[in-house]
Amino acid sequence: MLDAGRHPRIELLAYSDVIDVSGSVGDFRVKVRRRARYVDEERCTACGLCVEKCPKKVPDEFDMTLRERRAIYLYFAQGIPAVMTIDPDACIYFEKGKCRVCERVCEREAIDFEQSERDVELDVGAIVVATGLDLFDPSQLVEYGYGRIPNVITGLEYERLINATGPTQGHLLRPSDGKLAERVGYVQCVGSRDTRYCNYCSSICCMCSIKDAMLAREHDPKSMSYIFHTDFRNAGKWFQRYQIRGEEDYGIEYIRGRVAEITEDDEHNPVLWFEDTRTGAVSSLTVDLVVLATAAVPSRGTAEIARLLTLEVDEHGFIRGNGRSGEETSVEGIFACGFCRGPADIPESVCQASAAAALAARIVVCRK
Amino acid sequence: MGKGVLVIGGGIAGIQASLDLAEMGIDVHLVESKPSIGGRMSQLDKTFPTNDCSI
Repeated sequence: MLDAGRHPRIELLAYSDVIDVSGSVGDFRVKVRRRARYVDEERCTACGLCVEKCPKKVPDEFDMTLRERRAIYLYFAQGIPAVMTIDPDACIYFEKGKCRVCERVCEREAIDFEQSERDVELDVGAIVVATGLDLFDPSQLVEYGYGRIPNVITGLEYERLINATGPTQGHLLRPSDGKLAERVGYVQCVGSRDTRYCNYCSSICCMCSIKDAMLAREHDPKSMSYIFHTDFRNAGKWFQRYQIRGEEDYGIEYIRGRVAEITEDDEHNPVLWFEDTRTGAVSSLTVDLVVLATAAVPSRGTAEIARLLTLEVDEHGFIRGNGRSGEETSVEGIFACGFCRGPADIPESVCQASAAAALAARIVVCRK
Repeated sequence: MGKGVLVIGGGIAGIQASLDLAEMGIDVHLVESKPSIGGRMSQLDKTFPTNDCSI
């Protein structure tokens, strides 16, 4: 991330959107809209004085709304570029015409309420699309109670809770009462492999849940994890060994069966109802916290980018390959890599990225 | 050297593609809609199967 931000050949256009594309292979003309941060990127040092004084709080999207940020904010601590951004939908000045506290406290005179969005035009020979993933909204599966039962959370919310820089400084404190969650149930295939929603395997969730359960045990030796799975699909290098380590070294209990329903008892403890498909027994388990391994879907921006670039997508909205390779799209000179093409974990996304880069390089180096 | 390459999306895939291209001496324009690059991976604590830190 830092290397990309510092590389002399990489022009970083963050907080920006591609709004128009024309031309063809070897000669694309692209219009990029740079949204206004209302902060001078050159002057801001991300010292944080403005954030300290900003009176307006809104849910923090990066922390999956588990904590609040201010109207002026750093997207995340290690983000590149490391500059503040004013959220115009939250800022009191934009709503009521007064405040500007950030401007008064900024020692670098970096706040600029006069800043406006501006369009830049680029001429490029090739395009690489890497628009990534969003998560399936599990509130659609009403039987799991997400949004209704406070101690049912998603895997990405769990990631923020277990993270030392997250809203609970890495302590697994459950939402209803801030109690340390010691018994955690993981529900696999939430939306994935489900003919009603995402009729495909999201491929990363089995390993994610095993990892999450390992982290819980590393943070708290008394932690107990139960992973309810359809069947494990851990096909990558060393993945099988990882799964076995989860059971043998971290005491994770694997229960084969899809959870039918989640209810809660009088103390907001979630109760999982399931059939163990190895024994055929229908049973229930009460835990402190439930983590839903939700399906991953193409990111919201992927559909718009595919439309602008006239790329073919499949029935799930993933960008189609052209039949020769997964990286080549239906439009010559445009390549795709990572989750916007379909389920892929990090190492796979990195391989695809290098492949896409090599194919793009072939065009811009060989066509002069 | 001809024209540069546009990379859309500053997550792990977009960053890797940008670095590969830049190291080949190609100019890259990396567009990210969020205030900073990093993508989903930056939200993760550790990654499988090594449990290494993600950032």
